Amino acid sequence: MRNRERSEAPVVGVPRSDPGHEYEAALIVRIQNGERELFYELIQPYERRVFVITFTILRNEADAEDATQDALLKAFKYLGQFRSESRFSTWLIQVAINEARLRQRKSHFEIMRPLVDQENEDGSYTPRDFTDWREIPSEALERKEIREKLIAALGSLAQKYREVFVLRDVEHLSIEETAQALGISAGAVKTRLLRARLMLRDLLSPGLDGLWTGAGPTPKGIKPWS
Amino acid sequence: MVVKCEDVWREISNYLEEDLEPEVKQALEQHFAQCRQCKSVRDGMRNVIELYGDKAMFPLPAGLYPRLHDRLANHIEGKRISRRAWLVSVGVTGALAASTVFAAMLDGFVPQPRSEMSQPARRLPNQLVAVVDGGKMFHLPGCPFLHGTYHMVTAEEAVREGYSPCTRCMADALHSAGNVKPDFEGEETARSESEEK
Repeated sequence: MRNRERSEAPVVGVPRSDPGHEYEAALIVRIQNGERELFYELIQPYERRVFVITFTILRNEADAEDATQDALLKAFKYLGQFRSESRFSTWLIQVAINEARLRQRKSHFEIMRPLVDQENEDGSYTPRDFTDWREIPSEALERKEIREKLIAALGSLAQKYREVFVLRDVEHLSIEETAQALGISAGAVKTRLLRARLMLRDLLSPGLDGLWTGAGPTPKGIKPWS
Repeated sequence: MVVKCEDVWREISNYLEEDLEPEVKQALEQHFAQCRQCKSVRDGMRNVIELYGDKAMFPLPAGLYPRLHDRLANHIEGKRISRRAWLVSVGVTGALAASTVFAAMLDGFVPQPRSEMSQPARRLPNQLVAVVDGGKMFHLPGCPFLHGTYHMVTAEEAVREGYSPCTRCMADALHSAGNVKPDFEGEETARSESEEK
């Protein structure tokens, strides 16, 4: 397995040691005092993250790119309102999520929101497929069609699950940071995360008809992972 | 401690997060050793987390950063002109003058519009626009007149390929690019000419 960032992810409940925090706070003060070019340095570590989050919410690269630009511009414009008690990264993620949600409301597809969204999240989810899973090598991600299937599976989840999943499992925020960014409780994060992971697992399960073993290019009897 | 499959599924996410009391964790592990189904749920979920958590999962679109930084630079660096920018602007003005002369020479060349009814705009906004293969117009993403799968090209490329600007969604962009009234200039001249006759 290649560069797995997961191992660096903070252990839940233990605050991450944060050497960058003071540095960022100092940068922000300097930007507010007129050294505007330092803004590039401030956002550089988070540019990718803003794109991935807006992409997961909007499910379209072009919209996500526009939302990323607008979110970072807004962050620059409203940097004066940022309070240093919270982390800059969390605040920036909130700005990005707001921007993506705003765009989504403007577009028409809210009307066509799937029914799953209204589902009660407390209802327990029963896994549907129990085929044995082999370990999937990360090299599989070099294949475009596999990435597309994974992105499509994630895109088929209701938005509240996508939001939690992208922050925790894609961007490796802690449960607490995810809760803070979304303005929900840590308990709600865990419930939605469990649900999102179970649903994705079923959607991608090698034994279920459709995604992997269905009408795709994979010949019968051969698991796409092999 | 004996746990049922339903209990395992409820705690499986916390198990993979290592966010469980030691005795619950142990009970789950005993259960996995005996229950193939729950082992499948665990292994599948672990795969899901590993795959989506990999950086290779979300490759960025080509040119994302340059476009982003161009847009940010417009706002962050503002209109202050440094000495280098001044030299560059002199150079650009020269190049523009040369290209105007060159354009005058090439005036005869106008790309063939895809629709007979349409005219390309005279001055083009410097931005990406959405086109659909087989379509006639270029749009901003999200325009209600944009149908089907689109891809992004620069406005210049779109016109070169024979697309015309959508008068609805592109109106503002064309206006700010210096087109007083997109598309209708020719019509008006034609009308006034015919009135004169």
